[in-house]
Parts: sequence; C-alpha cells; structure tokens
Amino acid sequence: MLKKIAQGLALAAALSLPTAAQAAETLKIGYSIAKTGLFSQAAPSQVNAYDLWAEQVNAAGGLDVAGVKHPIELVWYDDESDPVKSAQIYERLISDDKVDLLLAPWGTPHHLNIAGVMEQHGFPLVGNTAGSVAIREVEPGNIWFPTAVLPDRIGPALVDMLAANGVKSVSIIANVLPFSQENLQFLVPALEAANIEIKMNESYPPDIKDMTPLLTQMKSANADAVIALTYPSDAFLYTGQAKELGITTPYQFLLIGPTIAAYKDAFGPVADGIITLGHWSPKQTDWPRAQPFFDAYVAKYNSAPDYLDSALAYMSCEILQQAVAKAGLDHDKLREVISNDTFDTINGPVKFKGVENIITPSAFLQLQKGDMELVWPKSIATADLIKR
Amino acid sequence: MESLLSGQLLFAALVLGGLYALIALGLNLVYGTMRLLNIAHGDLLMIGGYGAFWCFTLTGMSPLLGLPVIAAITAGLGIALYYLLFRGQLSSGKPIPQIEANSLLLFFGVSVVTQNVIALAFSATPRAYRYLDDVYHFGQVAMTGNRIAALAIALTCLVAIILVLNRTMFGMSIKALIQNRDAARIVGINVERVQLTSIALGFGVAGIAGGLVSMAEQISPFMGFPFTIASFVVIIMGGLGNVFGGIIAGFLLAFIEIYAVALTSANMRSILLYGIFVAVLILRPQGLLGKARQS
Repeated sequence: MLKKIAQGLALAAALSLPTAAQAAETLKIGYSIAKTGLFSQAAPSQVNAYDLWAEQVNAAGGLDVAGVKHPIELVWYDDESDPVKSAQIYERLISDDKVDLLLAPWGTPHHLNIAGVMEQHGFPLVGNTAGSVAIREVEPGNIWFPTAVLPDRIGPALVDMLAANGVKSVSIIANVLPFSQENLQFLVPALEAANIEIKMNESYPPDIKDMTPLLTQMKSANADAVIALTYPSDAFLYTGQAKELGITTPYQFLLIGPTIAAYKDAFGPVADGIITLGHWSPKQTDWPRAQPFFDAYVAKYNSAPDYLDSALAYMSCEILQQAVAKAGLDHDKLREVISNDTFDTINGPVKFKGVENIITPSAFLQLQKGDMELVWPKSIATADLIKR
Repeated sequence: MESLLSGQLLFAALVLGGLYALIALGLNLVYGTMRLLNIAHGDLLMIGGYGAFWCFTLTGMSPLLGLPVIAAITAGLGIALYYLLFRGQLSSGKPIPQIEANSLLLFFGVSVVTQNVIALAFSATPRAYRYLDDVYHFGQVAMTGNRIAALAIALTCLVAIILVLNRTMFGMSIKALIQNRDAARIVGINVERVQLTSIALGFGVAGIAGGLVSMAEQISPFMGFPFTIASFVVIIMGGLGNVFGGIIAGFLLAFIEIYAVALTSANMRSILLYGIFVAVLILRPQGLLGKARQS
C-alpha cells in the first residue's frame, strides 16, 4: 500500500514538475516578409528556410541561449513588398511585440530600410538576401550581411572565370532593374580590363514579353559567351527563346533565375550547362552541414531549396543560433560575438569585417546533369566548368 | 535590316499578337456588354495557368486537352461573380460611369482576394512545367511546339468568336448589346442572358489564354497584373467594347513590340509601345476602330 502511495506521489510529482524545456520561456523571433506584392514570388524560398530552421531547433529541444534551451516561435508580418512598411514592422516587432530576436526581410531595399531601425534600437540582426554595394554604406555594428553576391565582386570574378576558359568576346543583355544594372556597371570595366571584346550590350525592360529580336541580334554577334543579367521571369523567357533560336554559345550566364526549382522543371536537360550566380551547393563536401540542409528541405517541401536565397536565409539563422548559444540574448554581447567570431554554416565558415562576410568568395554555379555544381572559384568548386 | 524580313520575327509577332488579342477579347466582351472594368482580368489568366499546371503535373494530361475544363472553371467564376456582385448593379439603373467606377473597385477587391487565395493555397513559389518544348524548323524559321500550339489555339478561338458574333443570332445580340443597351432591350433581346453568357465567355477565354501562357512562362499568384495592363492598352487602343478593333490592336501592338525593337533597341520597347498608345489616344480618343461617343 505504501509502495502504491509512493508510486502515485512520484507520478503526481513527475506530472506536476515541468521539464526544463517546458519551464523555459518561448522566445519570439520576428521578421517582415513580402508575402504579397512585387517580391512575393521570391519570399517563399526564404520563409521556407526560416520555418525549417525553427522546426529543427524546436525538435532538438529549443534554441540554446547561453546554455538554456528555449522553444522558439516565429512572428511575422506581410510588408507587401514595401521597404517602408518593412521598417515599420521591425519597429513594431521590437517595441510592441517585444521579440527576443530578429530575422531579415527579403531583398536589398528592405535590408537598407530597416538598418536605421536596428541602429536606433541597438538590436542586432543578421541579414541575408541583400546584394548591393550599398550595404557597405550601412553603419556597422547592428546588421551583418553573409552574402557574397556583391556586384563589385561578381563582375571581376565572372571575368576571371571566362578568361580562364579562353573567352575572348561576350554578348551582354541586361534587365533595367537595379541589381542587373549594378552588376553591369562593374562587369563592363572588368571585361575591358581583361581585353574581352563586348560584341553587344543591350538593356531591356522588365515587362518584356518576347526576346526574339534581341536574341536574333545576339546570335548574329556570335560571341564566345553570353552574359544575360536577368531576373527570374526573363531568365525563363531567355532560356525558352534561346533554345528556339538555336543559340548554342558554349558559355551562357544568367544572373538570377536558374537557382529557382521551377527553372529546372521548365527546361530539364535544355538548361544543362547554364551558369548562374550562387556560392552554395550541397555537393561541397567540405561543408558537412550543406547536404543535410538540402535533404531536410526537400523532405519538408518536396522541392529543392533556392541555392541563393534559401541557403542565405538558413545561413543567417545558423549564425544567429551560434551567436545566441555563446552570448545569450544580451544585445551588446551578441553584437560582439557576431562581429568577431567565425561561424560554421551550410556555406562553410563565415566571418564578418564591418558588415561584410570576408570568407565566402563570389562564386558561380552551373547546371550539370540536373545538379547545381559550384564551378568557380576553384577553391570551392565541386566540378569543372563545362561547355554547353 | 535583313533580319526584319525574316520569318522568325513574323512568327514571334504572330504568337504575341494572338495572345494579346485573345487576352484582350475577354476583357472587351465583359466591358462591351456590361461596362464592367475588369482589372482582375490578368488574375483569370493566372487561374488558367495554374489550371494547366495542375492538370499536367497531377494527371499527366495534356494542358491543351485540359483547356475546356479550365475555361469552364474561369467561366463558372465569372457566372458566380455576376450573380454575387454585378447583377444588382447592372439592373439598378445607375448611370454607366457609376457602374464603371463601382466595377473597378469591386474587381480590385476580386483581384486581391484571388491572388492571396491562390498564394495561400499553392504558395507564391513560381511554378513551371515542360510541355511541347521541342523545336521544329520550317525553312529558316524555328518554332517551339508550345508556341505553335498557342498561336493555333489563339487564332482558332479568335476566329470562332468572330464567327459566333457575326453569324449567329446570339452573337448579334451580343453586338447589339455592345452597341446600345437600351435599344437591345427594346427589340426583345434577353439582356440578362446575353450578359451572363458574355461574362462566362470573357472569363473562359481568359482562362484559355492563361493555359497557353503557362506552357512557355513561369506561373505565380501575382503574374496577372502585366497582362491586365497589356489587355487594357489593347482594348483602349482598339476602341473600348469594339471586339474586332481589340483584335487588330492586339496584333498591332505585338508587331510594334517585335519590329520596333528589332529596328531600334530593346530598351525602347516600353517607350515605343506606350508612346504609340498615347499618340492614338490623342489623335483618336475613341480608339483605332471605335466610334466617337455622343454626349
């Protein structure tokens, strides 16, 4: 009888005593995202990475905050693709929702617009999907950018890769939207410095519906390489119509588009050999976290992650996670750790100097037999660049 | 200059023109018969695109064979909206400018709701599929299978609708309603039936156009707006409510887009397109084939 009472009391005690995880307060991690509007097509690849990360953290018992694990909850608002709204949302997340940590919005203008809010509140935030030299104008200390997609690094790196493969002439077409034009601005001088002839250099509007005249001219130019500074919708248009016109240029580079899963769905083997922007691949075995991320993403969403945006978004979560594990939630300590430590991410080590990641090089991917291979620079390449 | 005479540019202009004309036709039917300004028109294309995508990826069925089903879905949506939102407006005896203004606001709401419902249902992630993507060569002209199919189906739909409008009693009653609503009622035309059929036809055609577009482009919940703009440019240029004028304007814009870019620069595309559009509005405010309205 006494034994039964003791067992009952033990059971009652076990049920009434919270576990360590239950006792720990749930942490709120906030962000704004372009759920609707112009950039909403791009946002899911970033949100998916956030959701996957949060799920993995909670499945592992919570976020390690200086030795104590806390469950996490993501809090987000739709910024309607408006950078001004994004800044208002971060203000609200910090002041009203009193979130414990922040994740980044999508896109360069949004990052630049929220930088002031971060500085005003002294709230540290690891950015991700911003790609402009303008990020260097942001006051360092509260925001960091792990991306290697910076136009003044991309242009020279692309020229190095083409020159190393014997390219003597190029045809360039460029969307008039800012990221393409910023890349063009740094690409042309780099080509000229390398004595690579520019046989054609044409810009086109973002709502272009047919590229036949442009690509007919490109075919006549007969350059050794094509550099198409595209956004996603025109990357699709280019690839379909270049195939129709029989453009068989051995090296064809598209700026944004081919890393989206739908691109491969749309073109299959036709896209083989297309080169694009990206510094991450699950095939890089020196980064042991890369393939598990890819596998977990595919298992959860039944499609491949975006090699650029999903990877960057997940990297930013990893950096935050490692910094919080060491520094806790204190903003000053977090700032110091993020600014000085080296982080182990799916994209290899990341270390910041000022706002910029100084380890990850600007790099290029190539679709080879349906897989995205890193082909440049050699230091992180998973395969050699091949001709189409 | 030599390339201007090439069949390649002609083929590109015909494909683009066929799509512009088809997209604008649906908008024109709805505006012409009911004076409803459907700024959710591009979203119907988006629904058609998703219909074709799911038809192909889930069932493996040809999106072309799925077009009647897609047209039925978008036509059904048109009928539902007619009864829910517009029937009362149209029978209220309100002046046309007020019906136009109200429809603009209502369709704006429809557009926002449609985009977000699709985004919630399928996510905003762009989607695409491969269908009829082999390239065929006819002399010097290369044509992708899905673009040939898009041209053929767009032309078939356009010709069929023109024949219906011109050769059948029902088509003539649609034209009569476009020309003069009150007179059409006086001569015994069942205005409500014609309106209902017109909205179903207009929405159905937009769904078909979306299915055709999806064979060559990525689709996403927010892809519709540029098509809405393009279709408004076409029908305003052709003459609001003038079905034949809209078809001519659709092809005209496509030929300008292809040949003007070939002659100048791709950077000039928007300047030329909208410049000519503005010029037409200044010189012929009623559109190329429209008749000036009497006050």
